[in-house]
Amino acid sequence: MAGVLFETGVAFLALALAGALAHRLGQSVIPAYILAGVAVGPYVPTEVAGVSLALVTHGEFVTTAAELGIVLLLFFLGLEFDIGYLLSKGRELALLGGVDFLVNGAVGVALAYAFGLGPLGAVFVVGIVFVSSSAIVTKSLTDAGWLANPESRTILGTLVVEDIIVAVYLAVLAAIVGGGTLRGAALSVAGSFCFLAVLALVAYYGSDHVERAFDVGPDELFVLRVVGVAVAVGALALSVGVSEAVAAFFVGTAFSTTELVERIEHLVMPLRDVFAAVFFFAIGLDTDLRVVAGVALLVAVGALATTASKLASGYAGGRLTGLDARRSARVGIGLLARGEFSLIVATLAAASVVPAINEVVPPFAVGYVLVMSILGTLAIAHEGVLTSRLA
Amino acid sequence: MVIHEVDVPGVGKQYEVPAGGETRFVVIVHHDGRREVYRREGPDADAEKLFDLDAAAAREAASVLQAADFQPLDLDDVDVPLGDAIMEWVEVPADSPVAGETLSDAGIRAETGATVAAVQRGAETLANPGADTVLEPGDILVAIGSRDEQKALQSLVAAGEGGSDDGSETA
Repeated sequence: MAGVLFETGVAFLALALAGALAHRLGQSVIPAYILAGVAVGPYVPTEVAGVSLALVTHGEFVTTAAELGIVLLLFFLGLEFDIGYLLSKGRELALLGGVDFLVNGAVGVALAYAFGLGPLGAVFVVGIVFVSSSAIVTKSLTDAGWLANPESRTILGTLVVEDIIVAVYLAVLAAIVGGGTLRGAALSVAGSFCFLAVLALVAYYGSDHVERAFDVGPDELFVLRVVGVAVAVGALALSVGVSEAVAAFFVGTAFSTTELVERIEHLVMPLRDVFAAVFFFAIGLDTDLRVVAGVALLVAVGALATTASKLASGYAGGRLTGLDARRSARVGIGLLARGEFSLIVATLAAASVVPAINEVVPPFAVGYVLVMSILGTLAIAHEGVLTSRLA
Repeated sequence: MVIHEVDVPGVGKQYEVPAGGETRFVVIVHHDGRREVYRREGPDADAEKLFDLDAAAAREAASVLQAADFQPLDLDDVDVPLGDAIMEWVEVPADSPVAGETLSDAGIRAETGATVAAVQRGAETLANPGADTVLEPGDILVAIGSRDEQKALQSLVAAGEGGSDDGSETA
């Protein structure tokens, strides 16, 4: 017991240190959390000056906390899901999401085939390279003071559509990974959509009951109730082969139209951030930098190609929403960062039984996210240099 | 004044407050209660961040801006409801030359042009006093007239030896 507690203490201290460092450097915390996991995990670096650095193993606690991180990340995505916003901007958002998905998805497919990952690999790579990181982008926009500018509308609108596509995509992907054969996969996709449809309907029509059921005075009872339901529904989904993350997304949507949103944002968000940090840390623990170096070419080509495609799709999105050249360029720059979703896809890839997938895709995802999260944050901070000619 | 309100997905709400000309103040209220305030010089300009406040500080600042505790009054502006005319309260001193005379004998309307709308005598108020109303020392005349007329009234009512206008007030 003392051993596990020690490991947990080291894990949180490493995260705290890495987070503080990232903050000081004006960087996103996500790459810092991953690198914290790498540093104290079982792979290189394993020691510094004779002192062992392989302090934390990927044990049950880390696994569970990381899983809670995924569930809560998606729960909050659902919580911020605004059907009214979606309907009022339907056409524009469909256009933005369509361009974004097609352009970047196509590059993902090309990348997977060029590196011999085959059709299944293409499905994974598309998920990893297509989705921008809501967490990094939203934070960077805030830090750079872009939030009050019109391009933020387009950037955040694109993120909203991406989030919806992610929910559907994860549901399909989890079913495919769990299904094995093509027929099994098809059945499991169909099954999970039935489950999710029921969940979505309950979430949509049950909002009034949710409001009443969660109307509880003491904050701690409220938090326990919310987390309890989100995790329990996620677990139920997982037990029938449905993505727990997507189930949590729908639980979140049940709250999204209630008066409870603000209270949840206020009380549960710190919890989400702690567990999400452990999720990134766990990714780091599993990362052997030597293996990442082995896929360096794939990471480099992927980063270059999808930087170009994101800039292009963002620019097109900006033009489609009536922005001028410079602001449209900013849309692409704003959307460069990839993060949490790419890594969730990576955890699914690691669970795949196909060696070509579970050996190549996770290290690629980690290397790719490290590059793109840092690049994305830097690009927003130094946007002036990049777009001054367009002004 | 039209304040535009839009949802900012994943962030909170944005409000645009017109600030004269093309300039807008853009206020972003984050889900965590933090408020960011930007100024945008025109529709094509980049918003420039001015400051941000947490929820409690924002409420304090708002109450100061709204002047909930302190209303600065520009006295010249406050007189405006009567047009050129202003309303003043003029006390009749004990040794006033008009004490003991009626309004018409004192020649207030004829000599000064000001109109006495009411006379306050102790606790009672004589509204719309007639020309035969006798003025008593200590009366407060509620007079309506232009600035010059008020001035003339004050010197007429004031005591012979130099005219203090103590007790006259402007509201």
